[in-house]
Amino acid sequence: MRFFFRRLRHACFLLFGVSILAFLFTTLAPGNYFDEMRLNPQIAPETMAALRAQYQLDRPLPVRYVSWMNSVLHGQMGFSFAYNSPVAPILFVRARNTLLLTITATLIAWGIALPLGVWSAERFGRLPDRLLSWATAALLVIPDLALALGLLVLTVRTGWFPTGSMTSLDFGSLSLGGKFRDLALHMTLPVAALVLSGLPLLIRHVRAAVAEVLDAPFMLAARGHGIPRRTLLYRYALRVAANPLISLFGFSIGALLSGSLLVEVVMSWPGLGPLLLESILSRDLYVVIDGVLFSTMFLVSGNLIADILLYWADPRIRTESAAR
Amino acid sequence: MKNRRAGPHWRRTFLCSFALLFLSLGQAAASPQQKSIKEELFVLPGEVGKRGGRLVFALRGEPKTLNPLIAADTRSREVIGIMQADLVHINRATQLTEPALAKSWKISPDGLQYTIVLRHGLKFSDGQPLDADDVLFTFRVYLDENVHAPQRDLLIISGKPITVRKLDARTVVFRLPKTYGVGERLFDGLAILPRHLLEKPYQEGKVSQIGTLATAANQWAGLGPFRLKEYVAGQRLVLERNPYYWKTDVNGNRLPYADELVFLFVPNADAQVLKFQSGETDAIAQLSAENFSVLSRQLRGYTMVDAGPGLEYNFLFFNLNDLGEKTSPELTRKQKWFREVRFRQAVSAAVDREAIVRLVYQGRGTPLWGLVAPGNRRWGNEELAHPPRSLERARALLKDAGFSWGNGPNGESSLLDSEGKPVEFSILTSSTNADRAKMATLIQDDLKQLGMRVQVVPLEFRSLLDRVTQTKEYDACVMGIASYDADPNSDINVWLSSGGTHLWNPSQEHPATAWEAEIDRLISEQMIARTFAQRKKLYDRAQEILAENQPMIFLASPDILAGAKNSLGNFQPAVLEPYVLWNVEQLHLKNAPENAPR
Repeated sequence: MRFFFRRLRHACFLLFGVSILAFLFTTLAPGNYFDEMRLNPQIAPETMAALRAQYQLDRPLPVRYVSWMNSVLHGQMGFSFAYNSPVAPILFVRARNTLLLTITATLIAWGIALPLGVWSAERFGRLPDRLLSWATAALLVIPDLALALGLLVLTVRTGWFPTGSMTSLDFGSLSLGGKFRDLALHMTLPVAALVLSGLPLLIRHVRAAVAEVLDAPFMLAARGHGIPRRTLLYRYALRVAANPLISLFGFSIGALLSGSLLVEVVMSWPGLGPLLLESILSRDLYVVIDGVLFSTMFLVSGNLIADILLYWADPRIRTESAAR
Repeated sequence: MKNRRAGPHWRRTFLCSFALLFLSLGQAAASPQQKSIKEELFVLPGEVGKRGGRLVFALRGEPKTLNPLIAADTRSREVIGIMQADLVHINRATQLTEPALAKSWKISPDGLQYTIVLRHGLKFSDGQPLDADDVLFTFRVYLDENVHAPQRDLLIISGKPITVRKLDARTVVFRLPKTYGVGERLFDGLAILPRHLLEKPYQEGKVSQIGTLATAANQWAGLGPFRLKEYVAGQRLVLERNPYYWKTDVNGNRLPYADELVFLFVPNADAQVLKFQSGETDAIAQLSAENFSVLSRQLRGYTMVDAGPGLEYNFLFFNLNDLGEKTSPELTRKQKWFREVRFRQAVSAAVDREAIVRLVYQGRGTPLWGLVAPGNRRWGNEELAHPPRSLERARALLKDAGFSWGNGPNGESSLLDSEGKPVEFSILTSSTNADRAKMATLIQDDLKQLGMRVQVVPLEFRSLLDRVTQTKEYDACVMGIASYDADPNSDINVWLSSGGTHLWNPSQEHPATAWEAEIDRLISEQMIARTFAQRKKLYDRAQEILAENQPMIFLASPDILAGAKNSLGNFQPAVLEPYVLWNVEQLHLKNAPENAPR
C-alpha cells in the first residue's frame, strides 16, 4: 500500500508540473484565438480588444493559470473560446470515442501479439520466425499516415467500409444488433490502422522476451520433466518473460488517448485527434492544455498500473520495496 | 325576454365562433404547409424540384455555435445562414439585393431613413409569429456594447449607431446618422433573432452563452429554410425542414424541397474529396485546383463546375510600418527599399502572374492587378492597366531608383542598393495554405531574375498573423483575403489607413503618406455618396491610386470550384459565400422518395 501511495504522490507532482508547462507553452505560443478576426475587414479592432478582455486574455499569466486551475477543480476544465462553453463536456465526449477506438485496437493487438510472439519465439531463427520478422519489419517502416491513407484508398475503391465518421446517418433508427454492426463497420478501418501500426512492436517484444526465457536452464529442466508444451510456454515461459511486457502494457495504456490522434484525423474519427488539431491551429488554449493534461493522466495511470502489476508479478520488487 | 332570447343565440354564436377558431388553429398547427390567406410568401423563380429526401454535405470541421451573436468562424456562419434569415438579402447569383423578411423598403429622399415593411404571416421555425418587436429586439442586442456582437461594427456609421423604431406591428424605421452608400445591403447577413427565446437570457446578461451545439432542438428557432434536429458531437449536425419557411417555388410549393440537411464534419480537404467520391455527400465546394482535376478525370455520377473567378484576392505586401525606435537597423535599411515606390513597382512588373495562375491554380484562376477581384461584376475599374510581365521595365525602375547590379558570392548577378548592399529579404507565407506557399516560391524565382535574394518562410497561420499585425517583425508577406460581399464596404478596413486590415501599415492614427490620405478621402466620400455612379467614380480613382503606389502587389484570384451528384437539382454554385448552399432551399434530389408530402 505504501508503495502505491508513493507512486501516486509522484504521479500528482508530475501532473502538476505538466499542467504548468502545458499552460506556459500553449499561452506563450504566438497568436491567439481572436487573431483570425483581424483578417475580417468588417470587425473593428475595438471589438477584438473587448473580446480579448471578456475571455481574460489580457490578464497576467499567473492569474489566468489560477483561474483555469480553479475551473479544473470545479470540473469545468476551463472555457473553450471556440465552442463558447466549458471544456469538460466537449473533451469527455471525444475522449470516450477515442478510448472506444484505442481500447479495442489495444486489446486486438495484444490478443494477436501474445500468441504470435510466443509462436515465433518457439521457432526462433527458423523460416517461419524469419518470415514473421520481415513482415513486422516491413510494417514498422510504414508510417501510420501512409497506412491509414492506404486503407482509405482501398475502401474508396472497394466500397467495403464507410470512409470515416463513427456511425451512419440512420444509426438512431437501427436495432441494437444493427447499431453494433454499424459501429463495428465504422471502427474496422481505424482499428485496423492502429493494430497494424502497433502490432510489430508488440510481437517483437513478446518474441524477444519469451525467446530469452526459453533458453534458460529451468525451462530445459521443466521440459525434461515432461510438462506439456502449451503449459510450458504460456504458464511458465510467458510468466517469467512478463516483466518487460508489463512495462510495455503500461505504455499501451499511456498511449490510449494520444496514440490514435493522427489516424483519427485522417479517418475522420470523432475523437480527440481532430478536436486537438483544430484547437491547436485556432489557439483554443484550454482545450489544448486539457488535452495534454488528459493524455498525461493516462500516461501516469498506465505507468502506475504497470508498477502495480510488476509489484504483483515480480517478488524481487516486493522485497526491494519492503526493504526500503 | 330579450335577454332570455338573446342568451342561447349569443351562446350559439360564441360556440360556433369558438369551434371555427379552434378548427382553424388546429389546422394551422397540424398542417403548416397550408398557406393562410394572410401569408405573403416569396416566390422563387427556377426549376421546380421534388419534395423529400436528405441532402448531405461535408464541412471541414465542426461549426462552433448556432448563436449569430458570437459566431466568428466560417463554418458556424454557414450553418447559421441556413437556419436564420435577414430582412434584405444579397442574391449570391445576381450580387444584387432582394427582399427577404422585408416585403418592401423605402428610402427617404435624404437617404437617412429606411422604412421596412415585414411580410405578413412570418413565423419562426418553432411556429411563433415574427413582428416588429423581434426586429427591434434584434438590433438592440446587436448594438449593445456588452454583447460584443461582431455585427455591431456594421451598424455604427461615423461613430454613431443606427437607431430603430417601430411604426406598427409590421413596419420598422431605421434612422442612419449619415447617408450610407451601401444602402439596403447593410441588412444582408443580419439574422433576425427570436425575441421569445432570447429576451430572458439577454436581460440576464447570458445571451452570448446560449446557442451552443448541444442546445435542445426545441430551444432554438430561426427563420431560415432548415431548423435544428440533432447534433452528434464530432460527427454531424442534422437540420430538418422548417415547415413555416416563407418561400415557395413558382408552382406554389413551399420550400425547402429536402426534408433533412446533414452536415458531416470532415477534418481535412482530402477526406472531403474521398467522401464525395464514394457518394457519401451530395456536393462539394471550395475545391483546390488539384482536387478539382482529380475529380474531373474520374466522373462517376457527378458533375464538376468551375463557377469562375471568386472574390478572393491574393497579394504580396511589404512591411511599411513605422515602428520608431523599435525598428531594428536591418529592417530600417530594408524599409528604405520597401518605401521606394519604384522598388514596389519593379517587383510588381517582375512577378509573372500568368505563371501563378498556370502553376498554382492549374489555369483555373485569373491574374490580378487590383483589389477588386474579377468575380466582382460591378465594382472593378476596367480602365486599370494590366501590364504584362516585363523584367526590362523592372530593371529600368530599379536603376531609376538608384539600385545597381554587382556580382554575388557565387558569381551570379546581385541587386545592390544605393549603399552597395545586396537586396535580400524574406517573404512570410502560411504553412497551412499550399497555394500561397507555391506563389511565394514563384515570386522568389521571379525576383531572383532581378538579382534579389528572397527567402520564403512558411509559418503557422496564427504565428504569421502575430508577426504581421502585432510584432510587425517581417519583411514581406504573401496573404489572401476573400471579400464577403461585392460592395466596397466589405473591404473598407483594407482601404482606410486607420483600418486593422490595412495590412502594410495597419491602424494608423494619421495617414502616413499623401496617397493614403487621398484614398481615405475617396473611400470615405464614396461611403456617403448617394448614387452608384458617384460611388463608382470615387472607387475607381481609389483603385488607380492603389495601382500606382503598389502597397499591395496583387497576384491572382482563384476560381470557385465545386461539384455535385447528377441527382442534385438546382445546383448552381455562386462566387459569393456560401458557394453551393446559397440556394439550399431550392436544392432537391431528383431521386427523392415519391411518397414525400407535398
